[in-house]
Amino acid sequence: MNFDLTEDQQVIADLAEQILAGQMSVDRLKVAERGAGWDPDVWAALAEANLVSLCLPEHLGGSGMGAIELALLAEAQGRNLAPVPLVPTVVTAMAVAEFADAGTHDELLASVVDGSILVTSALASPGVNDPLVPGVRATPTSDGGWRLEGTKPAVPYGAESAAVAVPAQLADGTSLVALVRTDAPGVTLDAERTTNHQPAASLTLDTEVAATDVLGTPGDEAAEVTRWLYEHTVAAMCSVQVGVAEGALAMTAAHVSDRQQFGRPLSAFQAVTQRAADAWITTEAMRVTSRNAAWRLGAGLDARRDVSVAAWWATDGGQKVVTACQHLHGGIGADVDYPVHRYFLWGVQNGTTLGAASAHLARLGGLLARS
Amino acid sequence: MHIGDTPQEAAFRAEARAWLEAHAALRDPAAPAPEMDLANHVGHCRTWQATLAEHGWAGITWPAAFGGRGGSAIQSAIFAEEQARFDVATGAFAVGIGMVGPTLIAHGTTEQQERFLGAMLRGEHIWCQLFSEPGAGSDLASVGTRAERTDGGWVVNGQKVWTSLGQFADWGILLARTDPSVPKHAGITYFCVDMTTPGIEVRPLTQITGVAHFNEVFLTDVFIPDDGVIGATGDGWSVARTTLLSERSFIGSGTGQWSVDDLIDTARRLGRNEDPVVRQGLAAAVCRARTLEYLGYRLRTAMSQGRMPGAEMYVMKLAYAKHWAATADTAMAILGAGGALGDFSPAAASHHVEGDDKWASMFLTQYAIRLGGGTDEVQRNIIGEQALGLPREPAADRGVPWKELALR
Ligand SMILES: Cc1cc2nc3c(=O)[nH]c(=O)nc-3n(C[C@H](O)[C@H](O)[C@H](O)COP(=O)(O)OP(=O)(O)OC[C@H]3O[C@@H](n4cnc5c(N)ncnc54)[C@H](O)[C@@H]3O)c2cc1C
Repeated sequence: MNFDLTEDQQVIADLAEQILAGQMSVDRLKVAERGAGWDPDVWAALAEANLVSLCLPEHLGGSGMGAIELALLAEAQGRNLAPVPLVPTVVTAMAVAEFADAGTHDELLASVVDGSILVTSALASPGVNDPLVPGVRATPTSDGGWRLEGTKPAVPYGAESAAVAVPAQLADGTSLVALVRTDAPGVTLDAERTTNHQPAASLTLDTEVAATDVLGTPGDEAAEVTRWLYEHTVAAMCSVQVGVAEGALAMTAAHVSDRQQFGRPLSAFQAVTQRAADAWITTEAMRVTSRNAAWRLGAGLDARRDVSVAAWWATDGGQKVVTACQHLHGGIGADVDYPVHRYFLWGVQNGTTLGAASAHLARLGGLLARS
Repeated sequence: MHIGDTPQEAAFRAEARAWLEAHAALRDPAAPAPEMDLANHVGHCRTWQATLAEHGWAGITWPAAFGGRGGSAIQSAIFAEEQARFDVATGAFAVGIGMVGPTLIAHGTTEQQERFLGAMLRGEHIWCQLFSEPGAGSDLASVGTRAERTDGGWVVNGQKVWTSLGQFADWGILLARTDPSVPKHAGITYFCVDMTTPGIEVRPLTQITGVAHFNEVFLTDVFIPDDGVIGATGDGWSVARTTLLSERSFIGSGTGQWSVDDLIDTARRLGRNEDPVVRQGLAAAVCRARTLEYLGYRLRTAMSQGRMPGAEMYVMKLAYAKHWAATADTAMAILGAGGALGDFSPAAASHHVEGDDKWASMFLTQYAIRLGGGTDEVQRNIIGEQALGLPREPAADRGVPWKELALR
C-alpha cells in the first residue's frame, strides 16, 4: 500500500501547475470569459509540453499514462481555473485509442496530440444524467453504417470540436457509441453558455456514420464503452473539483487572515475558522476519493462504486466548499472584480455537469442494492 | 390561539384580492425569474407603487396622516401574501418603504415626515442605504466616512460600498462619523442625502449573475443641510438600529416568497416527480416552507400587538437563507445538466432570464441573502445573546475612542 504519488507523477503535477499558474492571470481569464469562453493559447502550451498527449498510447505520440496522471492535470486545472477542454478532449481521445479499430483514427488522434483539434463526448442528459437515456437513436444503414437521430444537451466544447463521441440507443434497447464528425452533414451544434462561461453546445443529429466510426462493438458490449467514457469523465471532473476547492480555500484563508472587523482578523472568530476547517476536511475527502477512483480506473479495476463515492463528494462537498468560501469573503466576493467568484461558478458548474449529488447517491445505492 | 383569518381578516383578504385581480395579472409559476434589466424593473416598481398609492393600498400600517392606510401589521401581511401571487414589481422600495419609512416615523421630525413619507408611498422616490464601507461590513459601527460641520449643515467625505440600487436612487440614508473622539457607536450621525448633490459618484459593481445590483459610492465634499440629520447629532447608531430591525423584519415578513409551488411544478413539468430522491427534496422543501409560514404568523402576531419581535426575526432570516439555498439545490438536482446552462455573462444581463435559468440564478445568488442585512453568523451571534442569554463576544474595541481604533 502506498497512497503517495510516484516521483514521475509528482513531476507531472509540478509541470502542469507551473504552466497553468504561469499562464492563468486574472486578465487572461477575463479575456476568455468575455470572448470564446476558453483559452486556446493555454491549450497550445499544454500540448507543447506533451501534457495533452500524456495519457495517450506511445505509438500514437503519447506518453502512455492513465487516469491517475489525468487526475493530477485536472487538479492543476481546477486550482488555476484554466478554461481549456482538458477533461472532454483527453478522455474522448483516450476512448478512441482504446476502443476504435486499430489504425482507423490515427490521423484524428495525431491532431489532438499536437493541439490542432479538439474532441469531446456527449454524455449529459437533462434531469437524470444517465448517458444512456434515449436522446439519440441509432438504426443500421444499408452500407453497414449507422443513421443517428436525436439531441444531446450541454456538450462541452461541442462547437469547438472536430468530433464528438455520442452514445446512442438501438431499437432492441442495446446501444453503440459513435464518433461523429462535427462537419458532417446533418450535425447541428447550437452554442449554449454555461455557468462558468466555458463553451458548450446542444447537439442535434440527423446524420450517418461509417461502421469504422463506432467505438467498440454495437450491442450489449457498447454499454461498457459508454460506462468507460462516463466513469473516466466523472472521475476527472472530480479531480478538477478538488483543484477548484483547494484554490478557493487558499484564497479564503488569505482573506480571513487579512481582513479585520471588530478590531481583529476575521479568522479570530471561531465561526469563521471552523467553517474554513470544515471546508478543508471536505476538500481532503474529495482528494482521497477522487484519487482512489482514478487509480482504480487506471489499474483497470472495477471502479463503479469508487467513481460514485468520489462524485458524491465532488458534487455535494465541492459545492459546500465553494459556497463556504464565497460566504467567508462577505460582500467583496460578490463583486466580479474580485476573483473568488470564479471558484464558485466552477464549483457549481462541475457540481451539476454530470449529475447532482443526489443522482450519484441514487446510482451508488442502485449498485449496492443489486450486489 | 387561532391560526387562520378571523372574519374581519378574511373580509380584508377578499377585498385585497378583488382589487388586485382588477389591477394586476396573476403570476405564471413557469415564468422566468424577476427581470434582470434593473432599469426596467425599477420603472415597473415605480408604476405599481403609484397605483397602490392612488387606490389607498400603499403603506398599509402607516398612519393616514402620512398617506398610509392606518391598518394593522396582519393586514399588511395579508396584502403582501395576496400580492405575491400577482405579476407586479416591488423590490425597489425595499429600502424606502421597508426601512427608511419606519425609521422616519420613529425618529424623523414632522417636517421630514411630511417631506418624504408621502412621496415614498407614491413611488416618487427610490431610496438607497449608504451604510456599509470597505472597512465596515459586519462591524458597521466602525464607519469612517466623515461629516464635518459647516455653515448651515455638514460636509461629507468618504466611501460607501455594496449600495443596492444606488444607481437609481433619488435619496440615500447615510451613516457618517461626526465625532471621532468617542467610542465607535457614540460618534455616528444618521443623515438623509439627495443623491443628485454634487460630489456623489455612483459606480455600479457587476455581480456573479452579471447584474449590477449594487454600487460603490464615493462622497467628496458632499453638502448636507442641517435638516438632513435624522435624530440627534451623534445618536445615529440608535436610529440605525431601527433601520436594521426593519430590514431584518422586512426580509422575514412573509409574503409567500418561500412558496415551493414553482419547484413542484418544475419537477412535474420535467417528469421528475416520480423520482424518490426528488420527491424527498420536494417534501423537505415543503417542511421548510411551512415552518417559515408559521414563524411569519408568530412574527406578525407580535407586531400587530405592538410587541417588538426579538430573536424570532433573526431565526426567520436564517431559516429563509437556508430555505433559499436548499430549494435551489433541489431544483438543480431536478434539472441535472440543464442546471449548469444559462447565460450569466454581462452581455446577457440585459435580457430576461429564461425559463429554468431562474433556478441557477437562485442558486448563484444564495450568498446575497446570507450576507445582506447582517450575515448568518452575525444573526447567530445575536440569537446567542438575545435568545439564549449567552455572554457577548469579547470585543477588543469596546470603550476605545474611534480615532484610536483607526490608528491601529
Ligand atoms: C447583495 C448584497 C446587497 C447589499 N446591499 C447593501 C446596501 O444596500 N447597503 C449597505 O449599506 N450594505 C449592503 N450590503 C452589505 C452587507 O450589509 C454586508 O455585506 C454585510 O454586512 C457583511 O459585511 P462584509 O461584506 O464586510 O463581510 P465581513 O464583515 O467582512 O464578513 C466576512 C465573513 O466573516 C464573517 N464574520 C464577520 N464578523 C463575524 C463575527 N463577529 N463572528 C462570526 N463571523 C463573522 C461573516 O459572517 C462573513 O462570512 C449588501 C450586501 C450584499 C451581499
